[in-house]
Amino acid sequence: MTTGIVAWMKNNLFSSIPNTIATVFILAILANFIPGLLDWLFFSANWSGETQDDCVKDGACWVFIQAWSQQFFYGSYPTEEIWRINLCLGLLLSVVIGSNFVSKTIRTKIFVPLFLLLPFVSILILNGSWIGLEPVSTDYWGGFSLNIFLAAASIIVAFPLGFIWALGRRSTMPLAKSISVLLIEFFRGVPVLALFFMGSVMLPLFFTEGTNVDKLLRVWIVLTLFMAGYMAEVYRGGFNAIPQGQYEAADSLGLSYWQKTLLIILPQVLKVSMPNILATFVMLFKNTSFLMIIGIFEILSTTQAALSNSYWLGGHANEGYLFVAMLFWTVCFGMSVISSSIERKLNTEHRK
Amino acid sequence: MNTENTSSHTTSEEVIIIKDLNKWYGDFHVLKDINLTVHKGERIVICGPSGSGKSTMIRCINRLEEFQKGSLVVDGIEMIEDVKNIEAIRKDVGMVFQHFNLFPHLTILENLCLGPIWVQKKPKAEAEAIAMKYLERVKIPDQAGKYPGQLSGGQQQRVAIARSLCMNPNIMLFDEPTSALDPEMIKEVLDVMIELAEEGMTMLCVTHEMGFAKKVADRVIFMDGGEIVEQNTPQEFFENPQVDRTKTFLDQILNH
Ligand SMILES: Nc1ncnc2c1ncn2[C@@H]1O[C@H](COP(=O)(O)OP(=O)(O)O)[C@@H](O)[C@H]1O
Ligand SMILES: [Mg+2]
Repeated sequence: MTTGIVAWMKNNLFSSIPNTIATVFILAILANFIPGLLDWLFFSANWSGETQDDCVKDGACWVFIQAWSQQFFYGSYPTEEIWRINLCLGLLLSVVIGSNFVSKTIRTKIFVPLFLLLPFVSILILNGSWIGLEPVSTDYWGGFSLNIFLAAASIIVAFPLGFIWALGRRSTMPLAKSISVLLIEFFRGVPVLALFFMGSVMLPLFFTEGTNVDKLLRVWIVLTLFMAGYMAEVYRGGFNAIPQGQYEAADSLGLSYWQKTLLIILPQVLKVSMPNILATFVMLFKNTSFLMIIGIFEILSTTQAALSNSYWLGGHANEGYLFVAMLFWTVCFGMSVISSSIERKLNTEHRK
Repeated sequence: MNTENTSSHTTSEEVIIIKDLNKWYGDFHVLKDINLTVHKGERIVICGPSGSGKSTMIRCINRLEEFQKGSLVVDGIEMIEDVKNIEAIRKDVGMVFQHFNLFPHLTILENLCLGPIWVQKKPKAEAEAIAMKYLERVKIPDQAGKYPGQLSGGQQQRVAIARSLCMNPNIMLFDEPTSALDPEMIKEVLDVMIELAEEGMTMLCVTHEMGFAKKVADRVIFMDGGEIVEQNTPQEFFENPQVDRTKTFLDQILNH
């Protein structure tokens, strides 16, 4: 085995003089930084305690993260009601992961409708007032779970909406076509931050006067439209990958336009678009941190609030932002694992 | 020219009546004054050089292509803009394509059941029974659970034929059904088509398989430049072609 490793190092790290120099150089840099970093992260870090005073060692003050962990995840949601958030997250995870383990029929007949209903079910559970639970106003929703919910709820609605826009763009009806093109290009062409501001100012104009439109609802609408624009573009690539013969075969069987679109074209478009859909979702998910700027208590604003809390003014920005980065990275990595497993599955399901 | 064929299987009922059909792609006149009447049970082979409008003509019959002038009546239904008429005609007319065009995301059985379930509104069990019946007829019932990508070209084309037959069509259109196949698979597809012809199916078949034409066709139609140049019984067509263009064409495909 040693010879294996030596051979590998020789082939990959020291194969030429420039390669050797680069290897040595990088190793030197790593040797310089890694010990200090590890020391700060782990060896000299403060792991237990309750207050700032428990952070006596030089390293990271993980006590800070621990003390604020509930806020980070759940915002100001009442402690005794947090199970509702966990329930919604659990539902989301089980539908997404579960759909990988069931037959095609069950997936299309049960999991897809469940998936599309999830945002609305979650709102019922989280708000509570319509189903006899303790009502929790959206003012109290926050933290990382809010990032997840906003991203998930937006993409779930954007899935069908973007598809309809993409269909509109391909339509031969001039009105449907121009409206779709306008919507797609608008929501793809305007920066998401500008959209958020416009959402706060302009969306209320569309609702009847006097109704106070919930801030989170506005954000959800903006994110959904933004995402739908991107999804429509992703679907367009998918449509282009479907051979003309598929439409002709469906027509010659006498299928109607909607039967052809939903039974023949949509599944194939989804399949070829899946990698791009997931990439777009990761982008959207990270963009939810912009919501801090318009005063939504998502993870980043929660962190900032914790950092400026008078009991914790010890300068824990490193720990805080590192933790936020870790959270985002973990979820995004998880999604890329799920996406490659979906791709593998789709590939074996109908081998070409 | 002998257009009226009196073979025993051909009846006098006219199932396709094409009158003065003209089609343009922009300025390009692709079909010029096509006149063609097909009787129930008749088997017609259409040949001609590439680009002569063969595909375009038969695709007009189930409205995969629109035409600008002339009239077309299929099974007593006039081909007009009306979606109802178009769908009614498509239910009566099956089509088999050069590249099979099976639905890759559906199993063979699901490919076959799609039409019966969604267009004819048959219960699933009945649709599956019909599908299995036709899979047996094209001799691949054991492939029902596979996906199209797992089958050979010849098998895929036989599935495509079965998929059309599941809709119980009165007329079958074939557009070069064997020209995308490896030589060793051509026979298995032609055999299925010959069997179908023997059962009395009305067939319009674009093909250059002259053996097939001689064996089953009642009439061979030669197209060139968007026109029907010549039509005759296979015997007359091959032994005694009337038009120079036909002779040149036959020389090319028979002696190479
Ligand atoms: N969508 C189209 N737009 C413009 N020209 C076309 C189109 N489809 C076919 N053509 C032209 O029409 C002619 C007839 O085509 P086709 O019916 O496919 O011929 P064949 O099947 O006899 O080879 C060809 O010259 C082809 O280039
Ligand atoms: Mg052709």
